[in-house]
Amino acid sequence: MMRDVAIIGCSMTKFGRLDGKDLMEILVEASLKAIDDAGVSECDFDSVYVGNMLAGELSHQSAIASALVDRINLIPASAERIENGPASGGSAVKNGFLAVASGASDMVLVAGGEKMTGVDTSTISDLMSTLNHPDAEYVHGATMPAMAALFTRLYMERYSLTERHLAMVAVKNHANGMKNPYAALHKLCTVEDAMTSAMVSDPLRLYHCCPISDGAAAVVLCPAEKAKEFTTKPVKILGFGHATDTHTLQEREDPIILKSVKIAAERAFKMAKLNPRDMDVAELHDAFAILEIAESEDIGFFKKGEGQLALEKGVTAIDGELPINPSGGLKSKGHPVGATGVAQIVELVWQLRGEAGQRQVKDPERALACNFGGFGNNTIIHILERGD
Amino acid sequence: MQEKMIAWRCKRCGKVMYPKHERCLNCKNTEFDDISLGDECNLITFTKLYALPIGIEISPLTLGLVEFNNKVRAMGQIMTDDPKPCMKLHPVWGKLRTIEKKEVYGFKFEPIVLE
Repeated sequence: MMRDVAIIGCSMTKFGRLDGKDLMEILVEASLKAIDDAGVSECDFDSVYVGNMLAGELSHQSAIASALVDRINLIPASAERIENGPASGGSAVKNGFLAVASGASDMVLVAGGEKMTGVDTSTISDLMSTLNHPDAEYVHGATMPAMAALFTRLYMERYSLTERHLAMVAVKNHANGMKNPYAALHKLCTVEDAMTSAMVSDPLRLYHCCPISDGAAAVVLCPAEKAKEFTTKPVKILGFGHATDTHTLQEREDPIILKSVKIAAERAFKMAKLNPRDMDVAELHDAFAILEIAESEDIGFFKKGEGQLALEKGVTAIDGELPINPSGGLKSKGHPVGATGVAQIVELVWQLRGEAGQRQVKDPERALACNFGGFGNNTIIHILERGD
Repeated sequence: MQEKMIAWRCKRCGKVMYPKHERCLNCKNTEFDDISLGDECNLITFTKLYALPIGIEISPLTLGLVEFNNKVRAMGQIMTDDPKPCMKLHPVWGKLRTIEKKEVYGFKFEPIVLE
């Protein structure tokens, strides 16, 4: 029998270029603020999960979860780093959820962090590209923007999706990010700005891609029945879905259907006993503009090929029927890969508690986070509900 | 040098796979025959990559997904700056890039010029 799980505290660092702070410092900062937010500074923790992709390669440090429990004295809690590419953060949250739900742990810290600036862009791009298939993709020069570009062109040919729609994702998410003090970019952009920005991998321009960022985020989990001891505003994790697909894009029966997203969503909705219409707000993984649209369809919010219509009509704006990426998304908030999946949950907790400031969505009760790994071969979806 | 692009056909269900898997993507069988993918394929999507990966000097680098007659698809470098949807290509062996100072070779795709 699984126990209900609640999030009782959360926090994140500002995302962006955090000069003078190393990976461990930002993980410590987010973790301590989350523990403080939960009001459990004096409590013992049973387990710690740290989402991170590139600590060994970029920070010359391994076993970072052991280092974190030492720095903030959570000893003797169990501790492990969770590496699952750009979905490392979502994987860490899932592991924390399972630890509480199973009865194995009563107090869990989930953190996620990445330090990516200060290294030249081509090195970061190369490290990210290594998650593509080594023989069938990477070796040919496939970077993540190239994968997204191949996918985008197929989409544009199949559906009435234009470069203007890609620009509209950027415009919306930059406007949302302006209202988020934690976002990396505080800059409005217009459709024209996006459509005339530098070409990265045609048809993808600079404004269709998320920026390289540093950042960390953390949440504290405990059994829902104990949550009221610590907070008046717990947020329940009603369920998760996690699914994979073929490593290569080319082997998918229809390359523009994100099967891992579809199946993860089906599993999450089944576990939560809900459906897409029950969601009031969502954070989707818009590492590239097309992904916000494609995920919004494959999760089941909109029919396939009609995500851009919802975008055009303002359905996904902060004041729309289903706000998507009120945080500014990866596009404006930034994408420190190991932090992203945790930061999506942090944003939704703030939204559900009514603490999202100027970007607050009107009175949401339920929320969905989609953390997308690989180029669509490993996706984790969580569904949250306001606990009061 | 490899003369032909090779794919793997499941001995049990006949599914053809590229790249190789240790178990069939359709039926989980573990035995395969090597087969040639053929000399002609169609371009199904492409991009001209301006932010070049390390170890590649051609700017822009044209990358694409191609589909062979048996519906098997492959990714590769497309040897033209003027890619067109559905253009006919054939695989040719050549240098792909440098990875950690080593030159790596494999198949790229060259447009078939109609005479």
